[in-house]
Amino acid sequence: MKIRVDREACIGAGQCALVAGSIFDQDDDGLVVLLTDTPSDEYVAFARKAATLCPAKAIALEE
Amino acid sequence: MSEVTKQEQCPMHEVRRIPNDGTPTCPSPTFAIWREEGSATPLEYSDGHEGLIINRYELAKMVLEDKRFSQTPARMPAHHGEALEAQYGLSSDSELDLGNVLGLDGEQHARIRRTILNRYSVRSARGYESDMKEIVAKQLKHLMAQPTPVDVTEHYSQPISAAGHMRVLGIPEQFRQEYSRLFVGDSTTEEKVEFLRRVLAVKKDELAEDVLSDLLRSDLLVPEIEGLTLSLMVSGRDSVAYMITTCMTALLNNPEQLKALRDDPTLIAGGMEEFMRVGAMFLTLFPRTATEDLTLGDVHIKAGQSVSVSPVAANHDERQFPDPDKFDLSRDAFGHIGFGHGIHGCVGQQVARVEIREGVMQLINAIPSLHLVHAEQNEPGPFAHPVATYEAGELMVSWN
Repeated sequence: MKIRVDREACIGAGQCALVAGSIFDQDDDGLVVLLTDTPSDEYVAFARKAATLCPAKAIALEE
Repeated sequence: MSEVTKQEQCPMHEVRRIPNDGTPTCPSPTFAIWREEGSATPLEYSDGHEGLIINRYELAKMVLEDKRFSQTPARMPAHHGEALEAQYGLSSDSELDLGNVLGLDGEQHARIRRTILNRYSVRSARGYESDMKEIVAKQLKHLMAQPTPVDVTEHYSQPISAAGHMRVLGIPEQFRQEYSRLFVGDSTTEEKVEFLRRVLAVKKDELAEDVLSDLLRSDLLVPEIEGLTLSLMVSGRDSVAYMITTCMTALLNNPEQLKALRDDPTLIAGGMEEFMRVGAMFLTLFPRTATEDLTLGDVHIKAGQSVSVSPVAANHDERQFPDPDKFDLSRDAFGHIGFGHGIHGCVGQQVARVEIREGVMQLINAIPSLHLVHAEQNEPGPFAHPVATYEAGELMVSWN
C-alpha cells in the first residue's frame, strides 16, 4: 500500500493522527504529515480507517 | 396513530418539523421512521420554505463532504411544539461575520480556519492533558464538598468546560467570572463582543502560546479576529459541558457499562466515540444550501434548497451501526458524526475528547457509590438552539 496526503485539502481535524499515529502526524500548522507512505502489513488497516474518517478526503490509498 | 397512517400513505410529500419527543440517549422514534422511508425527508424551515433533513448515515457523510453546498444563508429548521419565528438571525450582519467560520465557504473559510489549527491538533490536545486533569481535579473537589443531592451540570460540567475553553483560548484569569457570566449564562451578542474586545486588548500586550495570541500574531483583519474569537468563545463551550453531563447520564442509566468502564479504564479510548455517537448534541447541523442542482445517491437536490444533516439520526442508522440503540462502550463507533464532518467539522474535537474523558473518568473513579437521583435528560426537554440541539439539563446525583 502507498499513501498520499493532500495538505491543501487537509482541515486539521486530526482523525488520522488519532487512529493511526504511527503513520500520520500534524505539523506546526496543524496540517497532516506522513511519517511513512508505505505502512507495513499490520498497519494497513489503520491507514484505511484514517482514510475513511478523514473529513476532508485528504488521504488517498493506492493498494 | 392517524399521523402514522398519513405518513404511510404519503411518505415523501408531507413536510415535517423536527420532532421533540426524544432525549439525548433515546432519540425520537420519528427518526427511525424517516430513515426507513428514504435517505432524505422534506423538512419545514422557520421562514416557511421547504428543504430536506438527511437521516441516513451514508448520505449525511456525502452531503457534509460535498463542496457544492454553502453555509449561507442560515435558515433554521422548524421544530415541533414551537412557534415559527419569522427569521432567526444567527449572524449580526456586522463585519464580524468575516470571521464566523460557520458562515464561510471555500478559500475564505480555509484561510480563517488555518490560523488556529495548530492549537487543536492531536499533539496539542495531548499537551493540554495535565492542565485539563488539574482543572477537573479542582472542580471534583468542589463538587464533592457540596451537600447531596447535587447538580453535576452546574457544579462540574459547566465550570470545567468554561475553564477548559479559557485555557486553550488563553483568556486571562482576571476575566474568569465575567466569561462564565456571559458565556455560560445568557447575554446579548453586543455584551459578548464588548467583552472579547477587552480581552483581546489585554492579550495584545501579553502574547503567549494560545489561540488568541496566534490570532493576534496572524495577518487576519481586526473584524476577522474578533468574529473568530466570538465563534470560539461560544462554540464548544456548551457542548463540552453537555457531553460530560450526557456521558454521566448514560453511564448512570446503564450500570453494567459503568462497571465495565471502572473495571477497565482503557475502554474509554474507543468508548469516547460511542459516547459521541449516542450522545450527539445536534439534532441538525447548521443548514447547507445547494449552490447548483445535484444528485446524491437517489436524492435530487435543487439549487437554493436547504439541507439539514441530522447527526442524531445518522448516528442511529443501523446500516452503519448494528443494533444502533444499544449503548455499548466496547463497539467500534468511529465514523460517527457527533462532531460533525467535512470542512466544518468541530475544530476543537481532539481537545474536547481530552476534556470529556477527564471529566468522566475522574468522577466515576473518585466516587464508587455515585448514583442517579434525577436527570432532566431522561425526559424530553426543550431544544437549546434554533438549529435544534439537546441541552445538558440538570443531573442530580448523590453518594453514600
